[in-house]
Amino acid sequence: MHNIYLKQAIRGIKSNPSRTLLTTLGIMIGIGTVILVLSAGEGFKSYINSQVEAFGTNTVIVQTSIPASTKSRSAAGGTSGEAKNSASNAVPITTLKIRDVEDIRQIPNVKNAYGASVGQQIVTYKGISKTSFIFGASAARFDIDKGVIAKGRGYSVQEDKGLAQVAVLGNSIALDLFGSEDPLGKLIRVGNYNFEVIGVYESKGSFGPMNEDEQVFIPVTTLQKKIQGIDYLIYSVVELQDNSKADATSLDIADVLRHNHYINDPSKDDFKVQTQKESLSTFDTILQAVTFLLIAIASISLVVGGVGVMNIMYVVVTERIGEIGLKKALGARGKDILYEFLIEAVLLTIIGGVIGILGGSFLAFLISKVAQSMGLAWKFIVPISGVIISVSVSMIIGVVFGVFPARNAARLDPIVALNRE
Amino acid sequence: MLIELKNIIKNYVNGDVVTRVLRGINLRIEEGEFVAIMGPSGSGKSTLMHTIGFLDRPTSGAYLFDGENTENFTDDELAKIRNNRIGFVFQSFNLLPRTSVLDNVMLPLLYSGTKISYENRAKKALEAVGLGERMDYMSNQISGGQKQRVAIARALVCDPKVIFADEPTGNLDSKSGATVMNILEKLNKDGRTIILVTHDMQVALHANRIVTIRDGEIISDVLVPEKDRVHSKEVKEDE
Repeated sequence: MHNIYLKQAIRGIKSNPSRTLLTTLGIMIGIGTVILVLSAGEGFKSYINSQVEAFGTNTVIVQTSIPASTKSRSAAGGTSGEAKNSASNAVPITTLKIRDVEDIRQIPNVKNAYGASVGQQIVTYKGISKTSFIFGASAARFDIDKGVIAKGRGYSVQEDKGLAQVAVLGNSIALDLFGSEDPLGKLIRVGNYNFEVIGVYESKGSFGPMNEDEQVFIPVTTLQKKIQGIDYLIYSVVELQDNSKADATSLDIADVLRHNHYINDPSKDDFKVQTQKESLSTFDTILQAVTFLLIAIASISLVVGGVGVMNIMYVVVTERIGEIGLKKALGARGKDILYEFLIEAVLLTIIGGVIGILGGSFLAFLISKVAQSMGLAWKFIVPISGVIISVSVSMIIGVVFGVFPARNAARLDPIVALNRE
Repeated sequence: MLIELKNIIKNYVNGDVVTRVLRGINLRIEEGEFVAIMGPSGSGKSTLMHTIGFLDRPTSGAYLFDGENTENFTDDELAKIRNNRIGFVFQSFNLLPRTSVLDNVMLPLLYSGTKISYENRAKKALEAVGLGERMDYMSNQISGGQKQRVAIARALVCDPKVIFADEPTGNLDSKSGATVMNILEKLNKDGRTIILVTHDMQVALHANRIVTIRDGEIISDVLVPEKDRVHSKEVKEDE
């Protein structure tokens, strides 16, 4: 096959490879950023997914929430009418009880459920003290949650009901308190009580304020009655039989809670039922907004890169005026010259785009490696759609910014061009 | 009649200054002729050649090529004539750099849009100028004389009716120049029209007709008697 346009364009690019690389720097950085943002976004999403799935794959979360219509009753209700998660609020909602969780368990599509409360306490073992989140949950949590107990066991329903002083430790805190010592059977002090360590979790690989590796897990009733002196829960995790009916079951859960809490008007709900899909979609919305913003910034680099390519194409046309004249003398039409230069510009931007894709992917790979070394379930994903879009955008930039210099070349008068050499 | 110029005028306008380069040229060239256009520099001989070669349009006057009036031809139509009915040989060879000899010769074929085997045609053209062995060399790896022969092969490859040679020996030593002139003579013998622009009488005498131009006008147009013609022998180049 003799594709003259391509052949001539490649010859042009080969004539000055280092200039080619520099010319396409803007495109490289722009496309590289786009790929990096998209890939890191996918990686972050994979991590969030793994975190959400850690609650169990077929779960619905019931959280307490300040009723939208009674925000005036709440000191920190804010000015918006939106329901707020009471866990992050100064005024706790006290209506979610163990009894609600028991009633939710009776709903047909519900397989299992647990209630949870969280408090902060100083945990001490042999003079080593740590301030830790104390996570109180029903024994059912051990069936629902994906966390694996590496050593020992979880507590039983009887232990929960009997206010047993037993604890399962997160991986990091166990290491901090015990070092190489075997924690099983040892007594740790939580607040004013001694707890027997009966189990240690495998590392979950999370970070942030709710890092489960740093937490101490005890029966929720023990936490409520002995440590916190309360009888309410912050949230409940409900495991479903059939996740495809999650939306319908959510409504059933809401009905049960409204009945228990004497609520007639859904706007006065003091709870929020969130399916996994919903929690992910909230996160997706935020991620999309951030992605959009970053790509918008990267586009500036793409435009600058495009102008750079246009600039160099003008230089190239001037450099090759004699050659253009010769080609016209040999029978090249304006169209032929136009295509040669246009394809050269597009090749330039595609080269930049491909290098950008490789570079961006490499950086995203490094990020995933760093995240993984921190123990996060972060996958390295380069979205194929991102690659296709990047290559297309590179081509479009080549055409848009290449067409003016190429047209200049095509319009050259053969004799004027020949005589310039 | 292959070429017929009727009162061709070419003016260059630069601001208020009008330079009259061709002042009413009338010229007829038959197919198969070997015409040398002579004249001092600035006489308009190059402009005349460019006009005849469709590289430049006259300001006024009629140009009939192969019986067709070319006055209203579009740029693309002129490109087509340049491509397959005319071949150019330039003083400075004008080969594409970083490109093989074969690719250089193929270039006009690629612009012609024909579906014939480019490589075979290009190889034949190179063999015709005695460079069949050099087709894989890069254009900067061969001597000046060879470059000009490649340029002739390139001019020949689309099988044109007429070859324009603008000072083809101007940048060559006498040996290489002789070889180039020998090739042009052979081409003419085979029936191809050759139009040669030169200021060198020894070169011009290869032609069978010499047109002399001065100040944009033809001042003489004579046939060269056969006894006065110069014929270059094929010279073995040191290769």
